[in-house]
Amino acid sequence: MELLQGTLDMLILKAVSLGPLHGYGVLQRIEQISGGQLQVPQGSLYPALYRLERQGWIASTWGESAAKRPAKFYRLTPAGRRQLKAEEREWNAMAGVIAGIMRATPGEV
Amino acid sequence: MNASTQYRRLAGWMRSLLRRSRQERDMALELRLHLQAYADDLVAAGATRAEAERRARLEFGSLDAAQERCREARGVGWVEAGWQDARFGARMLRKNPGYAAVAALTLALGIAACTCIFTLVQSVLLRRVPFRAAARIVVVWDASVGRGLSRIGPSGLDYLDWRAQSHSFDDLFLFEHGTGTITGGGEPEQVAGLRVTSNFNDFLGVYPILGRGFGPAEARSEHHVALLAYRYWRQRYGGDRHVIGRAMELNSVVYTIIGVLPPSINTVFNIQVVVPFDDAWARRADGNLGVLGRLKPAVTVRQATDEMNVVMQRIAQARPERRGYGAVLVPLDDVRVESIRPALWILMGAVAFLLLLACANVANLMLGRAATRSREFAMRRALGATPARLVRQCLVESGLLALLAGAGGWLLAAGAVGLLITRLPASIPVPNGADRVPMPAIHMGGVALAFTGTISLVAVLVGLAPALASGKLALNETLKSGGHEGFAGAGAGRARGRFVILECALAFVLLIGAGQMFVGIHRIMRAGVGFPTDHLVTVRVKLANDTPNSPYMQSARQAAAFAAFLRKVRAAPGVQSAGLTEIIPLSQDEIDRFTFVVQEAPPLAPGATNPADFRGISPGFLRTLGVPLVSGRDFTEADDAQHAKVVLIDAALARHYFAGQNPIGRHIQIGGPSGAPRQVVGVVGSIRDMGFGQDPVPTVYFPFRQIPMQSMGLVVRTRLPASAVVPALRDAIQAVDPDQSVFSARTMDDIVAGTIAAQRLLLLLLDAFALLALALTIAGIYSVTAYAVSQRTQEIGVRMALGARGANVLRLVLGEGMGLAVRGAAIGVVAAILVLRLSAHLIFGLAAPGALLLAAGVALLAVVAAVSSYVPARRAMRLDPLAALRRD
Repeated sequence: MELLQGTLDMLILKAVSLGPLHGYGVLQRIEQISGGQLQVPQGSLYPALYRLERQGWIASTWGESAAKRPAKFYRLTPAGRRQLKAEEREWNAMAGVIAGIMRATPGEV
Repeated sequence: MNASTQYRRLAGWMRSLLRRSRQERDMALELRLHLQAYADDLVAAGATRAEAERRARLEFGSLDAAQERCREARGVGWVEAGWQDARFGARMLRKNPGYAAVAALTLALGIAACTCIFTLVQSVLLRRVPFRAAARIVVVWDASVGRGLSRIGPSGLDYLDWRAQSHSFDDLFLFEHGTGTITGGGEPEQVAGLRVTSNFNDFLGVYPILGRGFGPAEARSEHHVALLAYRYWRQRYGGDRHVIGRAMELNSVVYTIIGVLPPSINTVFNIQVVVPFDDAWARRADGNLGVLGRLKPAVTVRQATDEMNVVMQRIAQARPERRGYGAVLVPLDDVRVESIRPALWILMGAVAFLLLLACANVANLMLGRAATRSREFAMRRALGATPARLVRQCLVESGLLALLAGAGGWLLAAGAVGLLITRLPASIPVPNGADRVPMPAIHMGGVALAFTGTISLVAVLVGLAPALASGKLALNETLKSGGHEGFAGAGAGRARGRFVILECALAFVLLIGAGQMFVGIHRIMRAGVGFPTDHLVTVRVKLANDTPNSPYMQSARQAAAFAAFLRKVRAAPGVQSAGLTEIIPLSQDEIDRFTFVVQEAPPLAPGATNPADFRGISPGFLRTLGVPLVSGRDFTEADDAQHAKVVLIDAALARHYFAGQNPIGRHIQIGGPSGAPRQVVGVVGSIRDMGFGQDPVPTVYFPFRQIPMQSMGLVVRTRLPASAVVPALRDAIQAVDPDQSVFSARTMDDIVAGTIAAQRLLLLLLDAFALLALALTIAGIYSVTAYAVSQRTQEIGVRMALGARGANVLRLVLGEGMGLAVRGAAIGVVAAILVLRLSAHLIFGLAAPGALLLAAGVALLAVVAAVSSYVPARRAMRLDPLAALRRD
């Protein structure tokens, strides 16, 4: 399934909110949670990570991956946590509205 | 977004600027690790290593594109863009090195001149004396209009009365400059000292860096204790910290060293040792002392002066000798640099002109460049560059230019300041104060650097403004018009012409200023000081008579000692003739000005006085100087205490007080009718004792044996250099008294040069600025005429095709350049007359320019214009008409 426009940032925030991850880990976590249904375009992941870091929503440190390789780990900052909450709220509201619209039948209009 | 995220963003940018390469490495590594991790997973899923890596690459997409987007996301976009602009700008400047070099050099020269003079102004005028509450410290003098003295050193009694009666001051401080001989340890050494009231340390806020200062005990009774100035401590004692408590023999009295003063004391007082006054001594101390007062915070100098004048009237009732006296108060900061300040302000004005000229030149260059680049800009506009982007490009290019010019200017200025320091006098005279203060240290510091940076930027922006304002960047007609005649047509040409006219006018004013200063100085130097100043060497000799066991307590012994010195000196090798004088001419070492009456003349009207300078001299002194005897006779060895009291008068006194009568045989009474009559036996030429160009002060000379003195100057005429003669003089004097020191060795030429040091400095710098201005003007005229020729190639081609000859073309182009110069000179004549008339009162020697000088200036400018447009004119003459017509 293709990623919906504008949702990548929110998904990344959600992914790292569950624990620090390196870039490739973020990719895996999102695919894993979605049950393999969502494919994140690899080329878009890093610009998104850099953008979020610049916003101050995530922070990074160099560490070691499970494969004993150096890796840059991203974690959620307090500002990122607030942002994630806000985006979740907005998403849920939007999803509700859109779902309502899509449920509409000819009689209701 | 809250403050902390804003801060983080900012910090990120800063880091990205500073650590760009590290971030780049991090990013590349992160992406590589990503590919590796993915490939690892693929291998784990069964693919071969090679296959896995290939697939990982493929699925990731373009690495370069991802990196570029990462950079953008990271937020360094504008930094990169700025960097790009800067690199592009640098490339453009490199591509056109002639333009870049000329523009940067032009500005650098202007900036260097400005920075150099600013450094002087800042170091000399803007820096306060390093004393406590320095802004409120004033020098207090007595003044007596009747005696023609505007600044008289007060007496100890004046000081005590002022301290008791005036309410304008927080505190008053009394000091006396003196010299003393250090004995007991090799060659006797003459030191300059200060005797001060015991509030010295608190008043100035100058506390010892070692040992203690003076206290109340020193005020109550006489204590032989001394403070050393820092420099002297280093020089004589090698900075030995155990110097405290040691003894030093000063004028045969043993003093105990109690402290070492910080270097700041030498910024105003040129002394090595400080010793205390006790109150009883202060009461005895007669005139010629110094008094400093610190005004109460709300009191102005004017108010304090008014109050002090009232106090002086009250004092005159108790002490009749102060009748007719007032007080003069001048802030210490002003006194210190009084004689050099006008010169510096004039120079500041001159460099402002020079900088403006440099700006005009750069504006001119930039207009020309904008015109030649119009095609490039039009092309870039057409390709989608916004006007803002093009303006930014121009700003960045100009910024680079400013950086280049500023750095060059700073380096040039540093060199110039280094040179200038060697030209500056070591000390500055205090006008009418018979005192000198050390020249403030010249230092190029952070303030000067900030100044340089600011004027570099401003100068470049001022230069860029006309190019931007003329709209060259935004137009798109250029492409249509062939990008050639287009923008730069008549409008820009006229604008550039106007800048050249401005340049010519500015250069003209500088030229005339320098020329007038030259004329003025040479006029006063030609008038001379009343005697030939070359081949004269002077030293001072002071008898140590203020010690209890001194052989010089009786005045007859003093006269005999000086007579013996003079005899020995006259026999010394290399000495052609020698004489003694109370005060060395033009040295301003001391003042001896008093009043007299002529016995044979009717009594003076009440309140009127005859002031004159008084000088005790030896026979042969005036002959040694070369001052002519106008009538009567010179002093002889017989004019001593046993013979009739006689005087010589100078021509100025004879003219002033004996107009139309023969003064010989008349009698002068010093002080007033109660003074002993002294017969005038001769009239001698006048000396401009106050310096070049100053009117001679009426002067009375008396034989030194009839009124002996403790301290005299020895003047020697010699063919030998001073360095050879001074030791011979010292040997001759020490052959009479081995403990007698000789100090302050100077040539008369040096003394005389010191009196016009400010004028000479001004002349030197104005000359340099005028030359610079001329050079910049040449560059300006050249660039405009060369540009005009290139723009009018076709027109010239047509003219030549129609039969115009080379000479006609030459005249056409030369006429263009000279026309601009003449119009500039016309404005310059008016401006020069105005500027010089306004600044003539600032410094002696400057005056409104004469017609001859103005004419010479116009002629010079015309020649300069002809020369600088000659090269382009030749180029025009040699044009091949056919080729010229075919162009475009």
